[in-house]
Amino acid sequence: MEESGSRLDTLQAIELAEGVEVRLRIAGPLLRGGALALDLVIQWLFILLLSVIFMMTGIVVGAMTSAGLISLSWFFIWWWYPVFFEAGKWGATPGKKIVGLRVVQTSGSPITFSQSVLRNFLRYADGMPFLGAGVMGIPTFGFAIGSSLATKRFQRLGDLAAGTVVIYDKLPPEPVVPAPPPMESVQPAMALRPEEVRALSAFRDRAGLWSDGRREEIADHARELSGSKGAAGVSRLMAMAHWLQERR
Amino acid sequence: MNSGNFQDRREDAWKELDEMIESVEKRKPVPGVDQLPKKFREACADLALANHRMYGGSVITRLNDLVIRGYKLLYRSRRQGGESFVRFVGVTFPATVRKEWRLFWLCSAMFWVPFFGMMWMAQVNIDWVQSVLGPQGMASMEQMYGGKEEQLSHLRSEYGSNFMMFCHYIQNNVGIDFRIFAGGMLAGLGTIFFTVYNGLFIGAAAGYVNYACNPESFWTFVAGHSSFELLGMVVAAMAGMRLGMGVLKPGRMSRGKAIASSAKQALPLIFGAAGMTALAAVVEGFWSAQPFPPMVKYGFGAAMWLLHILYFTLLGRGPREA
Repeated sequence: MEESGSRLDTLQAIELAEGVEVRLRIAGPLLRGGALALDLVIQWLFILLLSVIFMMTGIVVGAMTSAGLISLSWFFIWWWYPVFFEAGKWGATPGKKIVGLRVVQTSGSPITFSQSVLRNFLRYADGMPFLGAGVMGIPTFGFAIGSSLATKRFQRLGDLAAGTVVIYDKLPPEPVVPAPPPMESVQPAMALRPEEVRALSAFRDRAGLWSDGRREEIADHARELSGSKGAAGVSRLMAMAHWLQERR
Repeated sequence: MNSGNFQDRREDAWKELDEMIESVEKRKPVPGVDQLPKKFREACADLALANHRMYGGSVITRLNDLVIRGYKLLYRSRRQGGESFVRFVGVTFPATVRKEWRLFWLCSAMFWVPFFGMMWMAQVNIDWVQSVLGPQGMASMEQMYGGKEEQLSHLRSEYGSNFMMFCHYIQNNVGIDFRIFAGGMLAGLGTIFFTVYNGLFIGAAAGYVNYACNPESFWTFVAGHSSFELLGMVVAAMAGMRLGMGVLKPGRMSRGKAIASSAKQALPLIFGAAGMTALAAVVEGFWSAQPFPPMVKYGFGAAMWLLHILYFTLLGRGPREA
């Protein structure tokens, strides 16, 4: 059961120096792709804005100087924009901030400047294979997707090298819609492990979300514990969850 | 004590912590914020307790959220100051390059063998060189180095053009270094490709100039910044190969761990390479095209090469070596 706990959802339990375990929800490739697209738009807007500004100042300082400043701004926005934002207070590029993501070390603490450099410079390798024009073509991010899907924590190549993960900044609260309280409370026939107790109380907390048929379907998986099938099994499990929750 | 009692009893403390964290997040700390670490640890204990007693999801989610936010504030790394920069330039960087001497020779060979091969080819059979450069490459070489020595300084005579070229070199050449490094992630293949490609192309350009243009105008131009730029490229290739070795040869570590640790070892190299290439852009932008006598330029170039050799062989030795 503890095995399946780590396989079913994207919650990652991490033990902090304080000796307590927190759970981080790892973000998947789809949302991160969205954040990347947003970042690209923001980067282009930045470049466009700076180009306009420098072209106007070019009237004063000379066309050559302004052309130089524009290519310098290309360099900084292209290579350093994600580095500074992720190493800064947000721990996220503006795109990630908008969709609610954040970059952390695998230990859960904020990333360092060096880690930010590593993961963002290696984005070039993650962008491969390129479409058209050899190594200067349009990145498909095939390697990033492949690596994300092959690793447990959705890490792209840059994440692997830097030792970072991308998480949801705020965990969405788990829905609690309890069904009407059961009439009786029953002691489980056998001693339960902590994970099993947790699963039972989660079943009770969420039962209100599901139809009767779905409840029975889920409860049938715990036939051995409840000793009966269908609606009877559901009410028996509810009674046990009630007993467990009341006892504390 | 059940979940409800527990919440009632600790509610005020959590609210207080929440307000403190929020005030620091907004950079307007409330009075008494120095209690934050203590309150944070209390919340950690509460979370551990709630986890252990398996209180319902909402309490745990809330505490989990509080602890993560507090952790983010308390463990933020501090920006390092000028001292670490001096230490990096004076000790860490040259010592790292020395430590990776095997990679240094490997990457030097990856660049210089194709380079001299192309130079030699230009004398034997110019077709090879011409096909590497392509018509566009040949035309631009002739445009820059085709005539008298003053041609380049003429191109740079307009006001601000030195600065423009400096910015262009930063954008282009430092970007190339970063790509060479990133290519290392593909088991070193990308690094090898970019380094050999640059060796071939630069060698072909030099060979073509010797063959068809005015060699003096080329060699006086490149002499000044050659040491910074070419050694910088070699160092960037070292960083990429170090990363590639983590993929290829993890040793006794798991591959993921090996990649992370070799990336850490490659960091000083890539920072150093970026610094050297930026310096190259300064020299290339503001010195190399100046109309000085050739001997001055060659002398400056030779002095820079000597300086680099001394820097990498002598600096950062002794007990404090990184």
